[in-house]
Amino acid sequence: MKRALLVVAALIILTPLFAYAAELVGYSEPLENIASNLGVEENLLYKGLLPDYTVGGLDPYIGTLISAVIGSALVFLLVYGFSHLMRR
Amino acid sequence: MHIPDGFLDLQLSTLTYTLAATAVGLAVYLLGKKGVEETKIPLLGVLAAAIFAAQMLNWPIPGGTSAHFVGSGLAAILLGPLQAILVMSSILAVQTLVFGDGGLTALGANILNMGVVGVVVAYIVYALLARRSRVAAAFLAGWLGAVSAAVACGLEIGSSSIFAYNIWVTVPVMFGWHALLGIVEGFATSATVAFLLKSRPQLLVSEVKAT
Repeated sequence: MKRALLVVAALIILTPLFAYAAELVGYSEPLENIASNLGVEENLLYKGLLPDYTVGGLDPYIGTLISAVIGSALVFLLVYGFSHLMRR
Repeated sequence: MHIPDGFLDLQLSTLTYTLAATAVGLAVYLLGKKGVEETKIPLLGVLAAAIFAAQMLNWPIPGGTSAHFVGSGLAAILLGPLQAILVMSSILAVQTLVFGDGGLTALGANILNMGVVGVVVAYIVYALLARRSRVAAAFLAGWLGAVSAAVACGLEIGSSSIFAYNIWVTVPVMFGWHALLGIVEGFATSATVAFLLKSRPQLLVSEVKAT
């Protein structure tokens, strides 16, 4: 369990680095490329509370790190909660 | 391969929401009947958090066309299909609602692709091949989990009026790219399984015996 938590911490710490590297190579996914080739545009109905893993007003890489912490914690709580309701 | 808003028309959005809700509902029902082992719950949450964090690591592949870890295969192998569907759906809901990653109108489709199709395909592959070699089976499960989710995504957008029903473009392109990029997913999945086989074999044993 302790080791598993360390793995999560390590992944979280890596997120700003990968965000920077993704920017360097001009990261885009096949789905986005198909859409732009076919002239389809995304329709931003809802941006989210922390749009695109950033925190408004903060440096984007710090925002990424905070997003990783918040997202991981929320996912943990959600899965923990649901599983707890269905415990044996 | 998170579908944003504006890619699916109303019919597809409704259809994919219905299918996803049915699959998740069934998984929750079956899981509720079986019950989740109480001692395993914390680890389940931590694994889900780990998959969420791993999904944030976009692979910096030169040229730019790339992807990130999805985790459908890994979740299916470690947790079995029912818990994996629940874990992947929770991750996708947080990504959409908190971070705007994946559209609200496409959440059904994204859960269907990465939370159901990828999980079920990966689980079947792993269950069939694990007896021969768990590490090789994990590679194929990880790879096919990602590829099948991508193909499902291609089928959906290709059936959407917004993509002018270009299904003969969307499916082959999604398949081709993710067949290539999915190799990374396969390696990551099999490396994790190989590592756990050495350090925490009981995590894997219980699941295979359960099948």
